[in-house]
Amino acid sequence: MNAIEIKGLSKTYRGKRGARVEALVDLNLDVKAGEVFGFLGPNGAGKSTTIKLLTGQLRLNSGCAMLFGVQVSDPDARLRLGYLPENPSLHGHMNAWEHLRFVGQIHGLDAQRIKRDSQQILELLELDKDAKRPVKGYSKGMTQRLALAVALLPDPDLLILDEPMSGLDPLGRALVKDIIRDAKGRGKTVFFSTHITSDIEAVCDRIGIVVRGRLCALENVAELLREGVEGYLVRYADKLGCQHEDLIVRDRLRERLDSLLASGATLDAIEPHRRDMEAYFLQTVKDAEACLS
Amino acid sequence: MLPIILMTMRCFLRDRILFALLGAAGLLLLLIPAMSSFSMRQVQELSITLSLSANSFLLLILATLLGSASVWGDIERRYTAGLLGLPLSRRSYLLGKFTGIAVFLLACCAILAVAGLAVIAIAKSQYPAASDPQWWVILLASAMIGLKYVLLAAFAMFFSTLSTSFFLPIFGTLGVYFAGTASQEVFEYLNSDIAENLSPLVKSCAEAFYYILPNFSAFDLKVQAVYGLPLDAMSLLGTLLYFLAYLAVLLTLSVWLFERRDL
Repeated sequence: MNAIEIKGLSKTYRGKRGARVEALVDLNLDVKAGEVFGFLGPNGAGKSTTIKLLTGQLRLNSGCAMLFGVQVSDPDARLRLGYLPENPSLHGHMNAWEHLRFVGQIHGLDAQRIKRDSQQILELLELDKDAKRPVKGYSKGMTQRLALAVALLPDPDLLILDEPMSGLDPLGRALVKDIIRDAKGRGKTVFFSTHITSDIEAVCDRIGIVVRGRLCALENVAELLREGVEGYLVRYADKLGCQHEDLIVRDRLRERLDSLLASGATLDAIEPHRRDMEAYFLQTVKDAEACLS
Repeated sequence: MLPIILMTMRCFLRDRILFALLGAAGLLLLLIPAMSSFSMRQVQELSITLSLSANSFLLLILATLLGSASVWGDIERRYTAGLLGLPLSRRSYLLGKFTGIAVFLLACCAILAVAGLAVIAIAKSQYPAASDPQWWVILLASAMIGLKYVLLAAFAMFFSTLSTSFFLPIFGTLGVYFAGTASQEVFEYLNSDIAENLSPLVKSCAEAFYYILPNFSAFDLKVQAVYGLPLDAMSLLGTLLYFLAYLAVLLTLSVWLFERRDL
């Protein structure tokens, strides 16, 4: 069973002076269970709208969306979901413990499990020392980490994270990547939106790129990186021991290696030189914008 | 739904503004014995009137603020994004939120009613009246005030589910309050001889408003409490049923609207 199934999903808003704004147009997407899926797109492309539709905050105009086979309009669809909203906001009068207890109760977890798991998650996200302070005194990064803790508490099978790295320092971002990898290792599904392409390279199995509400690309990250190899950086020492670096185009690698070895050079390293994810993303968006204009 | 009710109440209990309002009401109650003494012959009666009015005034502010800020405030502060991402239906969220507000209002009403009784006892000891106050009638009048403002809070929540700003919830609720308080008098005026010359259209419109708007005067037992008049059990039962029916309609409409709203 797919963790997420989206078929023919469309969403239109009524903008200023009654103008229709097409936020999503006929979106079709399946995310398999156990997969880490990155959802990319420029600002206003429809990433958050998709996530809001999946989490029941918006009503579908047409099409259908399901989480583990349950229609998103049914609150039971969210029984196996952990959700981190974009720029999360939490009740300022409550502390971290109270937030986690509340979420655990909504998920129907027993008190002992809530206490035990909350402690673990607060330690993991380095919030345990501040857990009894009201949230209104938290920094943006701490609020983001607490909202992530809220998403993780029920140990959900599916994590939907809207810009999870937003507001986090490099340590926090590394921690989130570790959490995503750990979730994948335990067979969980992760669907997250981001602008940061290096995060996609680090953790995703597949990506979807959405531009002006249309899904323009759906790719396997490993294949994309493999296909994106444009050449190789070869480090070697010549027979006199001098170090060199050569950038060799993909098709000429074997020929160049043969000539180096024949000349008595010693190879130190061969590294693929690839077009990075950012370049791919920018090109895809540019092509899509040109096509839609 | 219970976690939502508890969370709502917890947030109210930690809100300093609400405590400041309760403090102001407490201060108002403390002034009642002194203020009542200005009326030389009706100290007890005036103290009952003032204590019930103080209770009513505070609950008006609380019902308007809490009901208005309930849904609209949560959307504005983006709390709903996280809350509705949980396995929680919008119906449960809304009804839980309303129950939390209603329990808080009734608790405030009970506290002020008890404080009011103490204040009335003090005022009575200063200038003993011809007859003792009917304590149960005063308590019942306070309870009716509580119900009236629970109904007003339901109106505020209804407007809050529709609105994207504070304007409609706050001013719509105050408008309903003033219109609902005056509607019985307007209705009686329309059916009196003085209103004979009014156009039938105006009469019909006013009558329609009378039936649509809540009739808050049905909850007013101040005269009975002040003068110790007997209560009509059937009338009280009718008011209670009216309250329940009106509340059910309002909450059903609020849920229906909120379930269709994009957040």
